[in-house]
This record gives sequence, structure tokens and C-alpha cells, in this order.
Amino acid sequence: MNSPSGTPDKAAAKQCLLAADRFLKESRFHEARTEIEKAKKLDPANVYVVAFLDRINYFEAQKKKEAGPVPAAAPVAAPPPVAPQPSAPTAVAAAPPRAAAPPHAPLHPTVKPAPAVAPVAHPPKPVAHVAVPPPTVAPPPPTVAPPPPAVAPPPPTVAAPPPSVAPPPPTVAVPPPPVAAPPVPAPTAAVHPAPKPKELSAEPAPTPAEQKAMEATLEEMKRQIQMLSHSLEQEKKAREEMTNQQLESNVRQLRNSFEKSWMNGAPNDIEAEELHKLALSLSIPENVEQSLRREVKLKMYSNAVKEVIAKRQLLRSSSSTFEWLRKVYQVTMEEYLEYETKFLLDLVADQYKGTVLYVSPNVKTKDELIPRLKAAGYAVVLSGNPEEALEKIEKVNPNLILCHTEFSPGSLSGIKFLHLLRATVKFNFIPFILLCQESEVPQLQSSELRHHEGFLKKPVDVDELMITMNEKLAHFRDYVSSLS
Amino acid sequence: MSKKILLAEDDEDNRDLVSFVLQRSRLGAELVIAENGQEAVDKAIEHLPSLILMDMQMPVMDGWTAIPILKGDPRTRHIPIIAFTAQAKPEDKVRTLEIGCAEHYSKPMDPEELIALIRKYLAD
Repeated sequence: MNSPSGTPDKAAAKQCLLAADRFLKESRFHEARTEIEKAKKLDPANVYVVAFLDRINYFEAQKKKEAGPVPAAAPVAAPPPVAPQPSAPTAVAAAPPRAAAPPHAPLHPTVKPAPAVAPVAHPPKPVAHVAVPPPTVAPPPPTVAPPPPAVAPPPPTVAAPPPSVAPPPPTVAVPPPPVAAPPVPAPTAAVHPAPKPKELSAEPAPTPAEQKAMEATLEEMKRQIQMLSHSLEQEKKAREEMTNQQLESNVRQLRNSFEKSWMNGAPNDIEAEELHKLALSLSIPENVEQSLRREVKLKMYSNAVKEVIAKRQLLRSSSSTFEWLRKVYQVTMEEYLEYETKFLLDLVADQYKGTVLYVSPNVKTKDELIPRLKAAGYAVVLSGNPEEALEKIEKVNPNLILCHTEFSPGSLSGIKFLHLLRATVKFNFIPFILLCQESEVPQLQSSELRHHEGFLKKPVDVDELMITMNEKLAHFRDYVSSLS
Repeated sequence: MSKKILLAEDDEDNRDLVSFVLQRSRLGAELVIAENGQEAVDKAIEHLPSLILMDMQMPVMDGWTAIPILKGDPRTRHIPIIAFTAQAKPEDKVRTLEIGCAEHYSKPMDPEELIALIRKYLAD
């Protein structure tokens, strides 16, 4: 039964051979034969079919022998017509090739006899016609799919060396002729007439299904290992997180204690010792404790300085008071100098610096900038467009104008507003900063802005804005100073 | 039991500042506040402080009136009083000493100086 195209269906035949192998292992000889018949119909040229039938016969005979005396009429027990001498060197030359053997099989140059196994392959009780003929099961033709392991590669003991190869020494096993290969009582040889060398003392090679099952098991194990690793990793992270949270909580607790103790200056020795003990009990490292102490100390000192500044008119001398506070909080001169800028910024941050007229159509931008401007000490007056700004400008008398370039249709643009102010003597020199789009930058760069005028592209970087504002205000101060 | 200091001062900023300085002096003294002379007399009798800081210009009853009352009361006459005043003329100083003040301290204050003065009387 070939495929509809008339060509042998090698794949289907292979499946039949595999099924036959399974049946053979389960001693279901009839079913095995049926499968072999199917394989023969599918692929008549398959060299393994004949070999497999021989295997079945052999195993069946062995099974019967194990069960009881073998009947004389049993076909598998029939003596061979010729019983060759196992170790006769001439047997190699006399070995007739089987008709079904592929012509290239016996010529396979790499196949060599295996001396160690060879003697076992030649017991004195030959069953020639059921033995596996080496040439027929020898190296499979390249076009044939790999047969089941049991029939695949020929055992070295039965592989015939090529004629050109010198015969092995007598002590070494000589491959017998196919007909002379007798069944071997030893299970390794008898059960596996064509095993791979490593299979001689091992279990049969797994079938594809078994291999698949093993692979599945391995995959499952791999998956479980991955899951376990993942769980361990998660547990580790959770522990780390807990440790960090605990540490954060401990640091918070210590910080609170430090702040309480440092509120009115450096704590006395007893309090300091208690704080250190607390840090130890909370397992806070020494360097963290020191860093925390320094941080709290400077914060408390800074707060105290602010309070003193607010009441400086009640003090005889601010500088001597600051010096006293520095001692009270044990702030070293190095620490003071290191943090001087911060202290000074804290002191001046909420002091009035001037009024900014902020002309903006954008509520969002207003929200972002206004608190920052106020925090920096500016009073901020808002206008939704230049027209509204013109109405307010005289009353507000701003120190600086911040103005967007674009407004809703019908309104003046920021640039026209600037030109209008330039034309008004009273507002000619108010520092003016335009907040523009990136696309407007080249135009503004080429425009002739004066020293107290400038532009920043949106989105506005507040720090950059503060720098620009200070710069423009400085120009204005210089200008006013030059008038006198 | 911690020592007590009675501060008689009507100006809130001054009270806060003295409180601020005393807290940072680490003297460990409790501060009792009175906002005028009458209150100072009452609280002095009630608390029997170790020291009284008395502003001389206050509503209701000024220091010039309150100090003789305290010095005339056997329960408070032993309490040292520091005249804490903006009046810095020499005659003002003499006058405060005449009515029974132990010291005359002129505002504006210097924290270190004030603490040293207070420490001196608390130690006695």
C-alpha cells in the first residue's frame, strides 16, 4: 500500500515499525507482525521489515523457550543449513550478502567489529535463520528514516567489515555471516540483537513517546525550579523591603528623638548618651546616626536663626546673638560656612523683593509659577492679556513684567506689548521677560532686546527664570544708579 | 523641683524672645509669665519664684509700683528683682536700685549677657 502517488510512504511505514517495536516489547507478537505487514505494504523496499520479522520470530522463540521446551517443529528452532565456525577468519569472506541488504551497507568503512562483545555473539547453539543478518540491519540507507532503536544500528559484533579491510586477528571476534549469528542466552545480546554499544548493559533506549515524556518531566522540573527561584527572589525582596521599612521607621523614630532633644540646643551629656543608646537599640549604624545628628542640629540651628532674625530689633546685636546660637547648637565654623548659603537663603526667601506683573493666558502656567514667585519673595499681580496689563500697570507699578508671547485673537501679542511699553516713557525701563515658544526663539534672538529685556522658552525652568529675573533687575538697578 | 523665673512683660515679642533665650540657656528654670504689674504681684505670691524680671513700663500697674509692693510683702521681699527696661539713663538705673531692684538691665537684650545675669541670681 503505497501512497496515492505510488511512492512508498516511508513515514507511515516507520510508524508501523515503531508500533511493532512496542508490541514486541510487550510480547504481543501477533500485533507486531500485523504492523510489520502494514509497513511492508507501505514501503516494500524498507530493509528493516525483514529484519524486524526475524526479530519477532527470534523473540517469540525465546519466549516459548523460557516458558517450556521448544517444540521441534517450531520454525524458529530449525537448525541452520550451514553452521559456520564462529571464529573462522574465512567466514568473513564466505558471508553471503542478503538479497535485501542495501549494496552499500557492508561496505561501510567506519564500522568495525567490537572485540569484547564478539565472543558472546557466537554461542555454540546457532539459530541461523532467525538471527539478525548484519548486512540487512547494518547502517541504514540515507533515505530511510531512522528506525526504532532496537533495530537501528547494527551491533559491531555482526557488522561485516569491508572486504578491503584486513581481517582481525583470531583472538578478536570476527563478524560471523548473517546466517551464522545465533541467539545468545545472555539477555543483553539476546534481547537486543542490534543495540548501540552503550545499550549493551543499559536499558533500552527510550521511545520517542518516552523521550517526549522525559522532556516534559524535565520541562516541568525546570518550570518548578524557576517558580521556586522566583518565589525565593520575591521573598528576598519582601524581606529587604521589610528591613528597609523597619530601618526607615527606626530612623524616623530616632530623628524625632533627635529633634526633641536638639530643639533648644545641643543636648546635655546624659541626653546624648540616651540618644546613642536609642540608636543602638534601633540597630541604626553609627554613620547614619552621626549624619542624622548633624542634619537635625543644622535644621534646628537654622530655625533658631530665623526666629532671632524675626526679633532682631529686640536684640542688642544680631551678630553676637548668632554667635551665641552657634555655640548653643554646637555648630562649628566649618559647618556654618558649608551651610551659610542655605541659611542665608532661608533668611531672605520670604522677604519682599518686588512686584511682578505676570501677563499670561495660561492658567496652568500661572499655577506653576505663581507659588514659586511668591516663595521667592515677589508680590505677583496677574493679567490675562496685555490690554488688562496696561490697565493695571500704572496702579501696580511693577518692578518686573513677565509676559507670554501669544494671546487669544484680538489681543496684543507679547512682543507688541513690549513695543508699546518702550514707547511709553514712564514704563520704558521696566525689566521685561517674554515667555515664548521654541519656534519663536530665532526671531527673538535676532531682535534687538535691551539689557533689561529678555526671553525664556516654555516650559519655563523656574531656576532659570529666577536667574534671568535677578539679572534683569540688576540691569535696572544699574540704570537707576546711573541716573544719579 | 525646678527653679522658677517670673517675667513681667507686656510686649509679646519680648516675652517670646526671653522665653527663647531661657529655653536655650539650659538653666532648667520654669518661666512664669505676667503681662502687667498687678499680675506680677499676684503670680509672685502664688509661685514664689527664684527671680523676677520686671519691665518697668506696663499697663494696669507698672514696675515702679509693683516692685515696692513685692519688696514690702514678707513672702516676696527676698526675691531678687531685675529691672528689665528700655530706660537706660543713669538716673533710671539709680532709681530702680533705690526701690529695691538687684540689677538694672537695659533693653535691647544680649542673650549671653542676660543668661549670665540670670545664672548669677539663680546660683545664689
